[in-house]
Amino acid sequence: MAYQGTPSYSGVPASQYSDWIHRVGAYLIETLPALIVFYIFVFAVRVAILDIIVYLAFLGYVIYNRWILGGQGQSIGKKVLGMMLLSEETGQPIGTLNAFLRDICHIVDSIICYVGYLFPLWDAKRQTLADKIMKTVVVPAQQ
Amino acid sequence: MIIRRMYSVPENITMFSAGAAAVGAVYPMIMAHTGGHGLPCPLRSLTGVPCPFCGLTTATVALTHGEWGTAAKTSPLAYLVAILAVATAPVLVARLFGLAPLPRRASDPTRRRISRVMIVIVALSWLFQLRRYGFV
Repeated sequence: MAYQGTPSYSGVPASQYSDWIHRVGAYLIETLPALIVFYIFVFAVRVAILDIIVYLAFLGYVIYNRWILGGQGQSIGKKVLGMMLLSEETGQPIGTLNAFLRDICHIVDSIICYVGYLFPLWDAKRQTLADKIMKTVVVPAQQ
Repeated sequence: MIIRRMYSVPENITMFSAGAAAVGAVYPMIMAHTGGHGLPCPLRSLTGVPCPFCGLTTATVALTHGEWGTAAKTSPLAYLVAILAVATAPVLVARLFGLAPLPRRASDPTRRRISRVMIVIVALSWLFQLRRYGFV
């Protein structure tokens, strides 16, 4: 499904690209519950065998949510908040491998005191540095 | 409450700053639970060289606790962000209640001019941090 324009919400024209705060909201929705479960089992319960299971479960969740679902355009958080991750060149979802590579590129966002993650605050296309490298954009999903 | 509409850059920065200030207010409490291990700067951790944004966490915490001198000595950039946030907060509130028109996208020349100013500010901040860590 290609992204084809600027949908509107309640009659108010929406930005062509998703705002930083929505992206943060999506990230928190998909990450906070998993982190809380991870924290409880790894730091509070402290049962060695559970640690391994929880680490593997967390890795599985990241692979499924960020790379498989993200590669298809909508990780859980983006689906909840109605956004899509697309290639800015093709307007199509970027696929699992590119979603994985995009996460690797987030190293660039991190290395400058994590300011790369703040780029969507002011960038014209609301892109992080990883988005610029991978030529991806986050846009409101079609209603 | 996040209203789904286009937010201008200053509005985005205001909302981010409000969040940062909230975190800054409780940051010492978080640090007390984590043994004082805060968010490290990856560039400084790897190379020893500070990045332009080093000290922002410390400066934000200092600002939210009224330690103006510490904030200025650590990262003057935090002051700039705080001033911008305070200045644009009334516009954000006015738009929230429909008392001000929605933002319009700045023209490309305006965006380019702002980008140039930002580059200069970041460069100055980097110089400040390099001096703070004894590199210049």
